[in-house]
Amino acid sequence: MPDMDLSCTVNGRPVARRVAAHARLLDLLRDDLNLTGTKEGCGAGECGTCSVFVDGKLVKSCLMPAGRAEGAVIETVEGLAGRGPLTPVQKAFHKTGASQCGYCIPGMVMAATACLRQNPEADLDEIKERMGGNICRCTGYTKILEAVEIARDVIAGRADASVLDADETLGESYIGHNVRRIDAPAKVTGRLRYAADMKLVDMLQMQVLRSPHPHARIVRIDTAEAEAMPGVECVITADDVPGKDGFGVFVHDQPVMARGKVRHVGEAVAAVAAEDLVTARRAVAAIKVEYELLPGLYDPEDALKPGAPVIHDYAPDNVVKHIPLRKGDIAAGFAAADVILEHEFGTQQVEHAYLEPEAGIAFVDHDDVVTVHSPSQNITHHRHMLAEILGLPINKVRMVMSPVGGGFGGKEDMIYQGMLAIAAMKTMRPVQLNFTREESLVASAKRHPSRVAYKMGLTSDGRITAVKFEMLSDGGAYGMSSEGVMRKAAILSCGPYEIENLQVDTRAVYTNNTPSGAFRTFGGMQAQFATESMMDMAAERLGLDPFEIRRINMYRAGSLTHTQHRLDRASLDQVLDAAEAASRWETGVPSVRGALRGDLGGPDTRRPCTLGARLAGGPATAAATEAAE
Amino acid sequence: MNAITETRAETRRKRGRGMAASWYGIARTATIDRAGAWAELDDGGTVKIVTGVTEIGEGILTVLAQVAAEETGTRPEDVTIGDNDTARSPEAAHAGATRQTYMIGNAVALASRQAREVLFEKIAEYWEVAAGELRAFDGEIWAEGSNLRMSVADAVAICKARGTVPVGSASFTANGTGLDPADGKGSPWQTYVFGTQVAEVEVDTWTGEVQVLGLWAAHDVGRAINPRGVEGQIEGGVVQGLGQALMEEYVTVDGHAATHGFAKYILPTALDVPQITCVIVEDEDPTSPLRAKGIGEPALVPTAPAIINAIYDAIGVRITTLPATPEKILAALRVQQP
Amino acid sequence: MLTCDAYHRPRTLAEALALWADAPEGSRLVSGATDIYPWARDGRAGDVHLPAMIDLSGIGELRGYGFGKGRLHLAAGTVYQDFLTDPVLRQNLPCMPHVAIWFADDQIREVATLAGNLVNASPVADGTPAVVALNGAIELARLEDGEIRRRTVEIEEFIHGPGRTAIRKGEIATQVTLDTCCGYGGAFQKVGQRRSLVISVACCAALVRTDPEGRTFEDVRLALGGVGPGPMRLREAERMLRGERVEPEAILRAAHGAADRVASRSRLDYRREVVVNFVRAALEEALANRPNRAAAHDQSKETMANA
Ligand SMILES: Cc1cc2nc3c(=O)[nH]c(=O)nc-3n(C[C@H](O)[C@H](O)[C@H](O)COP(=O)(O)OP(=O)(O)OC[C@H]3O[C@@H](n4cnc5c(N)ncnc54)[C@H](O)[C@@H]3O)c2cc1C
Repeated sequence: MPDMDLSCTVNGRPVARRVAAHARLLDLLRDDLNLTGTKEGCGAGECGTCSVFVDGKLVKSCLMPAGRAEGAVIETVEGLAGRGPLTPVQKAFHKTGASQCGYCIPGMVMAATACLRQNPEADLDEIKERMGGNICRCTGYTKILEAVEIARDVIAGRADASVLDADETLGESYIGHNVRRIDAPAKVTGRLRYAADMKLVDMLQMQVLRSPHPHARIVRIDTAEAEAMPGVECVITADDVPGKDGFGVFVHDQPVMARGKVRHVGEAVAAVAAEDLVTARRAVAAIKVEYELLPGLYDPEDALKPGAPVIHDYAPDNVVKHIPLRKGDIAAGFAAADVILEHEFGTQQVEHAYLEPEAGIAFVDHDDVVTVHSPSQNITHHRHMLAEILGLPINKVRMVMSPVGGGFGGKEDMIYQGMLAIAAMKTMRPVQLNFTREESLVASAKRHPSRVAYKMGLTSDGRITAVKFEMLSDGGAYGMSSEGVMRKAAILSCGPYEIENLQVDTRAVYTNNTPSGAFRTFGGMQAQFATESMMDMAAERLGLDPFEIRRINMYRAGSLTHTQHRLDRASLDQVLDAAEAASRWETGVPSVRGALRGDLGGPDTRRPCTLGARLAGGPATAAATEAAE
Repeated sequence: MNAITETRAETRRKRGRGMAASWYGIARTATIDRAGAWAELDDGGTVKIVTGVTEIGEGILTVLAQVAAEETGTRPEDVTIGDNDTARSPEAAHAGATRQTYMIGNAVALASRQAREVLFEKIAEYWEVAAGELRAFDGEIWAEGSNLRMSVADAVAICKARGTVPVGSASFTANGTGLDPADGKGSPWQTYVFGTQVAEVEVDTWTGEVQVLGLWAAHDVGRAINPRGVEGQIEGGVVQGLGQALMEEYVTVDGHAATHGFAKYILPTALDVPQITCVIVEDEDPTSPLRAKGIGEPALVPTAPAIINAIYDAIGVRITTLPATPEKILAALRVQQP
Repeated sequence: MLTCDAYHRPRTLAEALALWADAPEGSRLVSGATDIYPWARDGRAGDVHLPAMIDLSGIGELRGYGFGKGRLHLAAGTVYQDFLTDPVLRQNLPCMPHVAIWFADDQIREVATLAGNLVNASPVADGTPAVVALNGAIELARLEDGEIRRRTVEIEEFIHGPGRTAIRKGEIATQVTLDTCCGYGGAFQKVGQRRSLVISVACCAALVRTDPEGRTFEDVRLALGGVGPGPMRLREAERMLRGERVEPEAILRAAHGAADRVASRSRLDYRREVVVNFVRAALEEALANRPNRAAAHDQSKETMANA
């Protein structure tokens, strides 16, 4: 590949490098200068993990040709503090606990720094606007914004710098004390190395061929051309799996790479390990696969119809899991009801969107231990599964957790570690695989899209007499965590309310959609969205305040749950009281009374976002000023 | 506000409030959960904790450092704790199910306590007092009702000089039972948490956009080990819930992703988040040594229904399928007022 | 992934034109590269290999702006952030700061050019309706017999449809010329799924000039984006308002016509409804944003309040 010579100033030091003609500034920084504090979260300018200063202006380095670095002055997160103390922005991030997984944090620190360099007096609205190009998935931005305001006050001279180091005085215990996060300094400086930031000597790059079809039989895979390409060290397919293929959190229904057929678009079909990324990608493109298309299933209702295509032979009815709960007698319960409400609810498929795309490194160590570093949420289970897949004793497989740049359940599935391990064993060299964002989206599990048919009976004074709850969830192509998700959805289904008569069924089915799996709340959110909507609809119908109807039905010490578990204690009364008081809730029936409420717009709400905070007062007066008048 | 903005505010932007309650179980569901940990009171009064913990950003390493410091009478910054390695650390299972503080926190507490007991035994011998008289906190060790006091660093040196390395190990388990396959009967968790959130929204009836302006989140977390960390979990959960309520949707068309990148899969930015007020309720768990419960997942549960109930309060439109996009809101308003 | 055989960063327009004239088929020009890079990814064009990539960002002649004959000549390298930071541009192009604040984010705006936005010709571009409202034209340069030749095309003629423009082989956009609208109030309405980094479902740019008292519309410019293959100037509504009294009824009447202009293939009902509201909101905000409003302020408030 043609190269070009570049010289520039990076973090105050002159730098000269020869890079590929197509390199982006991000590649120069990460690959050639090992400045891995700058991350690649999306590669498309949408997330801000790669923000750096070029000639004083903050830009997204994934969208800038490296050639533009020529003669430029570049500053990365590593250069902010250099070898000196943390900057006020970094210290403030440390103080407020603004970093969680930390993957967005170098970019956030850069955006905050840019904001305060542009306007050291920026108010909160302007800070938000100036940081609007950086996504964080963990923190909800609140502690980040708090940190930027503290740093601003220090920089603008409105607060003493000592506030950055000041902590609450320690009482008699470290429990309950706001100890600063011990990993924050590594995160705010960009020093923490995630899997994609690591390099090993002699390391190969892996790329994966993914299915373009939702459901198809694999007739033939021809890897000859790819294998013959210079720089390609190995091409692997399902045939290269040495042991018993199959993984999954509950059922081991997913092969390391598609075996015989593909079940969803984006499923791994083959993988290449090559000397560099471009070679690996070109080799992937040279693999020829002949498919025979099969009829697909894209709607969970269709999956249950007689004669529907079968996705997994072991499950001819396409049901991954059905969880039934039965308590009391719903016929009697509905008969005793004064009102019966029936509604349907739907929740969508949701992506975890951790800022760190999947990444990992595998190698075989000096004792023949197959070692995999990856940001996995469950390496213990992964080790068990991988030992079987590789046909090795369990102590010959070692899983090491690399710093996890966000998980939310999405990194529980072992969707790539198997390929890495096999390629490392074949080549006896370290192999690295870094997903692109697009790859992460199509290959990783999502939150189950669910439909709930709800029937609730109540007496006129607000007591729930019976519930019939039926949930159908799209599990997608593989089982992953569906079984557990359906179980939790069932257990939590009807909310924290004591209901004497109920019938709950949750089902997940196979389809040819992107698989669904574990996602923060594990089915609890989908189920309780329906329940909590029903509670408000019931409150309106019966003329009750939303808090009141919940108090009437809530669990107390001694209540029997939906699974007939006797509770020793229940704190719902306390959190209801706390939320009602904190929000200064005005009691009333939830019958579209927004216009009449007196509890709106308190000091604990924000102003609506109108955009243009920085335009106020300038030649082009923003609408914001108008609204504020 | 002048007359123009007033009339416009009435016709165009409408506000409302909604609430939702929720509950959640702590640790793995309907099974016997377990976690192991090793602890060593090390030279210089430092502490080494080895456990199969998985920090995924929630702050578990800091929590465990606090727990270990508390139990050994040291300071969190004295604690060395690393990430998980199946060849080097005892099993503590996965990062999920709102289980790490509960499961691994208790395992680390018990292991640290054991290491401290070894140290206390040796120092009690050295001081010729009963081990039960000893206390340690923040790097110091002393005997109650006496002037005997020294640093934990010196204590460790003395302990080692007497031939003992102060180590401890522990395993913690939380009981749950499976569900009966026919009626689902079972006790899936040892402890439960509850939460309630209130949302205040503004709906732009000209575009269908919803802005969440305020959100109050009250959650029982058991004993809060690091309140700021708890707030971080609540705030993050709320904003994920907001994303799901209003904008996020992974779309496939006949199995093909239509939202193939972050240009199409829309996530909340700093401009979309409400002011969040967290209220931490500490209903301590009597069944475990730390008396903590958890918050990782539960914070997300009530957000979407609270927002959807608030939208109804504002404009009388009941959204039953998520997300409540501007387009969906206007379509619903159109049906409501033809 | 985007790869290329050669990357060039010419320093002069002549050099760039020469490179471009000789570039092998399939080569690309880049300015901010904010359209090019995201395009060469999975789910869109996939891996793309270019024979040559000619980066125009180093050309001094493509920076800055000048005035001539009531027009503002913006060099092709003008980036969106300039509309927020440059007081002269803010004053003379009163709708552009509002477009810019809604455009991508601060970091993208530092490199994304107006010219790139126009040449890319996305139906949901934010710059195109504003440029159309400013009677914009684009200047295209090419080499002919070693000489630089230039032609200027009105933006309404320039954009043929999604990704299709009147640009010819060998041409480089060198300037965007716009009416100077000093004294106008400007506004921009946009809706997507959030408020930062968001692509429009629909948008509307407006410019309004009134008599000093703010009683009558002297000039009105309105254009929509996101509602058809290209930007759409609302000439009918403009005509209706010109010379009309500044009154809510007039604004509503003008707004209602907008719905029928929506020619999108998707989200039709939504877009039809939103554009009507947008025209109304854009006019109201443009009126409120008039620079000399202070004197006329109370007056306009009264008339509006009588709605
Ligand atoms: C995260 C993100 C957010 C975005 N948000 C918005 C938004 O809110 N609104 C919006 O409208 N757009 C948005 N965009 C799209 C993009 O930023 C704009 O279209 C931008 O104006 C393109 O300008 P550029 O200089 O980056 O173009 P480039 O990518 O460099 O080029 C675009 C096209 O124009 C050609 N070209 C560039 N310069 C010239 C020239 N001088 N002569 C001839 N041809 C030329 C190129 O060959 C290419 O075909 C966004 C993009 C990203 C990545």
